[in-house]
Amino acid sequence: MKNRSLSFWLFLTPTLVALALVVFIPMLEGLFYSFTDWDGLSFTKMVGFKNYITLLQDKAFVNAFWFTVAFVIVTVILLNVIGLGLALLVTQKFKGSNFLRAIFFMPNMIGGLILGFIWQFIFTQGFDALGSALHLSWLQNWLTNETTGFWGLVIVTVWQMSGYIMIIYIAYLQNIPNEVIEAAEIDGASPWQRFTKITFPMIAPAFTVCMFLTLSNGFKIYDQNLSLTNGGPYNSTQMLAMDIVNTAYNASNFSLAEAKAMVFFLIVAAISLVQVLYNRRREVDL
Amino acid sequence: MNGKFWKHVGLVTAVAGTALTLAACGNGSSNKDVKITILQGKVESNKQFKQIASEYEKAHPNVKIEVTSIGGGTQYDPVLKTRISSGNAPTIFSLDGPASLKQFKSHEADLSDTKAAKAAQPGTLDAVKSEGKTYGLPFNVEGYGFVYNKSVFKKAGIDPKSLTSYDKLDAAVKKLDSEKDKLGIKGVFALPGKEAWVMSDHLLNLYLSKEFDGNAQKLYKSQKMEFAKNAEMKQMLDLQSKYSIKPVMQMDYAAQVNQNFSQGKAAMIQQGDWIYPTVDQIDSKFAQKDIGMIPIPVKEQEGKLPVGTSIYWAVNKQKSNTEQKAAKDFLDWMYTSKEGKKNVVNKLHFVPAYKGYEGMKMSDPLTQVVFDYTNDHKTFGWAFPGYTGTPWDTTVAQPNLQKYLSGKQGWDKTVSNMTDGWASQQKSAQ
Repeated sequence: MKNRSLSFWLFLTPTLVALALVVFIPMLEGLFYSFTDWDGLSFTKMVGFKNYITLLQDKAFVNAFWFTVAFVIVTVILLNVIGLGLALLVTQKFKGSNFLRAIFFMPNMIGGLILGFIWQFIFTQGFDALGSALHLSWLQNWLTNETTGFWGLVIVTVWQMSGYIMIIYIAYLQNIPNEVIEAAEIDGASPWQRFTKITFPMIAPAFTVCMFLTLSNGFKIYDQNLSLTNGGPYNSTQMLAMDIVNTAYNASNFSLAEAKAMVFFLIVAAISLVQVLYNRRREVDL
Repeated sequence: MNGKFWKHVGLVTAVAGTALTLAACGNGSSNKDVKITILQGKVESNKQFKQIASEYEKAHPNVKIEVTSIGGGTQYDPVLKTRISSGNAPTIFSLDGPASLKQFKSHEADLSDTKAAKAAQPGTLDAVKSEGKTYGLPFNVEGYGFVYNKSVFKKAGIDPKSLTSYDKLDAAVKKLDSEKDKLGIKGVFALPGKEAWVMSDHLLNLYLSKEFDGNAQKLYKSQKMEFAKNAEMKQMLDLQSKYSIKPVMQMDYAAQVNQNFSQGKAAMIQQGDWIYPTVDQIDSKFAQKDIGMIPIPVKEQEGKLPVGTSIYWAVNKQKSNTEQKAAKDFLDWMYTSKEGKKNVVNKLHFVPAYKGYEGMKMSDPLTQVVFDYTNDHKTFGWAFPGYTGTPWDTTVAQPNLQKYLSGKQGWDKTVSNMTDGWASQQKSAQ
């Protein structure tokens, strides 16, 4: 902390200015507007906490909140389990493991909007054809109700992001020194013991990173939601980010949308920070 | 923040604003060059508007027009708001009904004295009138009904013009359905359950219009929504849903128009004249020869087509007088001059909302239907723009109608949710 020389500030300033311009200032402005009756153009008066009270009674917001929470819980678990599983698979020494890494990572290189449209086709046309061929009725009528909309979103997100999570786990898996594993092997540890007692604790920092990424990403998801279900049917698959955008732009209620965005920010920030602090404590140093 | 501070800010802004306006007026001597900027939301007509603008520039060398079009995935209002708050407001912008009329009030010039406003068809200005003044000029009028496949009806031996009551329609639909295979169709209708607006805007309007005299402004200001004709709407929605290509809840606009109707898989769909370019793109022969439109039979409104306007031009009153005058002149020229009229009909493919187009021929069969019904005064108004800009539309009407359509909720509950939701929105807006 002592060497905050001129060059320190010189290097930091561009980032700070950029952050202030696109994050801090808009946020403070948003905070201010959330206490007014702003309509996106002008405001006539301060309304105190009226917007915050309205949003608590707003069924659509509460519904979006619980939908998003359920989505985050399911995707965080699935993404980390599948991501780690894929990472373990491709770090085994066999032919084609590098090829598989590229394949698993590939979905992540397609934009969320396009992905949503591709999967919409798969769910509505592909699943339907498969369902009628195999006489499996649960494969039909996807995305026409809340349940299939939910699982559709989960499948797309997991399919897209698990490759990315895999890459992070691979990086940490490769950092585990071979001697430790070999020593355990000589001591007679079974593969399962080696995994739970050595590998798992050693990649704890990866958990912190991946949990953070999957958590905040799950809360903030918008593009897949837009292109896959667009919140429908009957707004039942509308997630938090989408509810906020629609409140502002479809219902023209900008100040309420600002209040929702503030609550949204607090939720995501609080959960992510608690998670990071908690997981940090579990990390071990060599 | 205390009130005094904002008072000061307001005062300073007002003073600065006045000073600027005065300065602008000082500059505006009559023969100087004037530049007007247009921001409009009908992106599909972007090229045509630009052509028309350059034609006008040639005839009026001292006027420069810059056209910017927004649409597709981008919504119009946020962009207009951004332009206004960044001090880059357009001279001519557009409004889509009473809600935006109220929202942009501080920027709307009175257009009552323009030639176009005087030539406007009766009723077309109702939605953009306030305290006896007119603040918008309609782009065009549009109409909707059942767009039908002529050869399917011919093969089945049904005259679409004879379907003037619900019972006759019902009988025809059942006949079409029983001969599905022979006629080569997959379903009588294609109802897009995914596009809630097809129900919440167009279908609902048929049964609400009369309650509000087809006047969007009246609906917008009304504290109450009776919705007395709801049983009739249920009947029509059930009929469309029952005899539609399935699954209804998976069908979107593209599936309805592009995949099903344009490829002859549905006998008729509830849509309007705006689908013509899409059908034309897929099968232009079919579009030119084989499609027509009939009114949807509604009691006491039989044989009448719902015709209305979804976008209006407005002129920014915070611009200099010269600029405002040039903008009004341009709009007058576009809709009331001889060259302008030709462009409106042949380039923009608009059904004119103005008088003085009698005897002109529309460019396609669907707009021709709307034009004929308008000339014969067999129309009723659009009340739904009175709620499209309000939260009720997307948070109450659309989800409730979709819930009913997918069998999640009964009709009575749907109706009471809608009418109660309207009352509570209007109460809190006070």
